Amino acid sequence: MLTKYLTGVTTAFSPFNARSGKTVRNFLALLPPNARSTMAIDVKMFGQSDAQKPATLSLKFKDGKELQLDLEKMKIKDIQVEVDRHSRILRRKDELSG
Amino acid sequence: MPPRLRFRLPSSQVGGGRAPYVCIQCRHASLASTITPAPTIHPTIAHYPPNQPPSHKPPEYRKSQLHRQYQSLLRSSPLILIFQHNNLKATEWTGIRRELSNALRKVDVELAKDGKEIIQTGILASALKVVEFWEPKYEADGQAAHPASPATDTSTAVQDARPDDAAEPIYTHGLSRLAWSTASRNAKTTRPPGSDLTPLLSGPLALLTFPTTSPQHLAAALSILAPTKEFPAPKRKVNAAYHEKAVQDGIAKLMLLGARVEGRVMDMAGTRWVGGIKGGMEGLRAQLVGMLSGVGAQVTTILEAAGRTLWVTVEGRRGMLEDEEKAKDKSGEQKVE
Repeated sequence: MLTKYLTGVTTAFSPFNARSGKTVRNFLALLPPNARSTMAIDVKMFGQSDAQKPATLSLKFKDGKELQLDLEKMKIKDIQVEVDRHSRILRRKDELSG
Repeated sequence: MPPRLRFRLPSSQVGGGRAPYVCIQCRHASLASTITPAPTIHPTIAHYPPNQPPSHKPPEYRKSQLHRQYQSLLRSSPLILIFQHNNLKATEWTGIRRELSNALRKVDVELAKDGKEIIQTGILASALKVVEFWEPKYEADGQAAHPASPATDTSTAVQDARPDDAAEPIYTHGLSRLAWSTASRNAKTTRPPGSDLTPLLSGPLALLTFPTTSPQHLAAALSILAPTKEFPAPKRKVNAAYHEKAVQDGIAKLMLLGARVEGRVMDMAGTRWVGGIKGGMEGLRAQLVGMLSGVGAQVTTILEAAGRTLWVTVEGRRGMLEDEEKAKDKSGEQKVE
């Protein structure tokens, strides 16, 4: 997953939700070790009783585009595809300009 | 043409002095069959030494040994914290380990034998299933009756165990086939809702285990690993090493997911509640004793109160009578004068 062009990750989820919790935790594990110096990461976790609360994951890119991901339908592969699709556009722009 | 005479010899002459032909191999076989058959392997001889019981999965694999190790970890530590680690570097890990051990040493020297360990998630999940749903009755089964152990009497009747009978009920260790089948069957049928750790068991996990359920140590660990308002991190003046960049970066990437406290699953809030018990187990006991003795004191005061009021009224009445008598005496003296 191309994480170079991400500037912000905001998420709220419950780790006790077998579907969305796993997806978000997998996504956070994919961020590089120095992620906190290059992007703003805001993680909010619900408890066990709020496991069915809808989880949110919103991403911000360098060009200012914001992406809201629907965690009910998407799994980690789909999220990777979405992030890569926009990141490749940004990379192309970078290459052409620089 | 010579006459065709059928010349018949008497039958006794044919077989004459010779014994009837028997092939040598057959003779050996017939001889062998006459002797009592050699005993097959005696039933009391076990095929497995007591320290190497048959395993459901090949025991030489790392997975099997990890499975066994996790089972013992889960059984021996009543308090386990589960963290997710997101790409921590080695320097960050060492910094966090150092700070954690320092903090726990401050609480108590003896109890600071905690372990922090990165685990293989899938194997832990399987081991947890075995631990939760398989309860071998080691005491009841009588582990002493193992045929190959020197402690067993020779006269003890033991069950036969054959290599193809690895599912024999005498093998009740955690890696046995019986444990595996029972655990997986029970996990499907009787999984109580809400007491489930499975959604947590995915991705990169690390466990912090304590040999006892001690809230003081939990509080110390939480203030280092997951600082909040209730568990503030040590100040920069007190502990400068904690505020190094490597440690702070590492802590930002550790996420507290939940805990397993004495077999019960707790979320983040539940874990902090356990850590917030004032004074630990002793504190809880003191609270309970205080409450019970307070109730006792109230009962005694209530029971005493009736007697005391009676005594007070009687005393009051006596005082009144004495006063009256004194007054009478005085008036009598005055009259005499």
